[in-house]
Amino acid sequence: MEWRISAAGSDGFATISMRGDCDLYAAPAFAADVIARIRAGSKRIRLDFSAVAYLDSSGVGAVIRILQAAKAAQAEIRVRGLSGSPRKVMIMSNVISLLKEDPAEGRPR
Amino acid sequence: MRAPIVRKLIVDEGNELFDARGMRCLAFPSDFSRIREYASTVLTDCPESFREDNLLEQQLSEIIKNAVKHGNRCDRTRIVRVWFDLRKRARFIVEDEGEGFADLEAWNDFYRKRQLALHDQDFERFLSLASYRGPRSGEEDGGNSLVAALEYWNGGMIFNTKKNKVGVVRWFPGGSGAVAPASRKEVP
Repeated sequence: MEWRISAAGSDGFATISMRGDCDLYAAPAFAADVIARIRAGSKRIRLDFSAVAYLDSSGVGAVIRILQAAKAAQAEIRVRGLSGSPRKVMIMSNVISLLKEDPAEGRPR
Repeated sequence: MRAPIVRKLIVDEGNELFDARGMRCLAFPSDFSRIREYASTVLTDCPESFREDNLLEQQLSEIIKNAVKHGNRCDRTRIVRVWFDLRKRARFIVEDEGEGFADLEAWNDFYRKRQLALHDQDFERFLSLASYRGPRSGEEDGGNSLVAALEYWNGGMIFNTKKNKVGVVRWFPGGSGAVAPASRKEVP
């Protein structure tokens, strides 16, 4: 999985867009990168899952660790684009209720 | 208010889920870098209707990962055996050569507290409980694979007494998916 960060938009949220499989091989490095950004002072981050077709428990764990780091740093995390099986995995893991979701890009709010 | 749903991991050595008669079996070395490949191999002839995008492969990968990582400690000389039957439903037995899931009851307790926090809409407490840390857990372990597994394996998820072997079943909406698309025949 690759990910890239976009500069903060008008709402103050920087978007991290993932592409590929958020799985046991990629998720630990992804979590470490995002958590480092939070600890470095990023206060508003949006995780964009639009191009993620596969999410496993390591990906779920990564999101939980990011949320925990954000809580400790009083930062805010939003997610966008969770659909298909990644969304089902979040639901089955009972983590979906922790997520503040934005509408998919291009959809009206 | 509805009571919270609290499922449990169960130990039942004599459960019919461990009856491997008629099941195919593959054995894999405990190579962490090949876990998803192993799951994909097992599902080579899987009916499309069972795959549900890639949920089946993902859930099977989780069980194989637990066997490779936590059971066999990624020791490539240790084998993970996977029995599988993809007729009518997806049924698997996965066995490792490790010491067994000693933290099973502790995990059940963690899960119960987590579900109660969710039921109480106490998200602060839920977030603090969102990851399980057992004596052997690593930084990246959170117990989430088992939370989802209890939801996904709707026909049961049972451990043997030693807890190094798990049997799981998933039934699918619409009944049998026993006929793979490649061999499916249209009935006029």
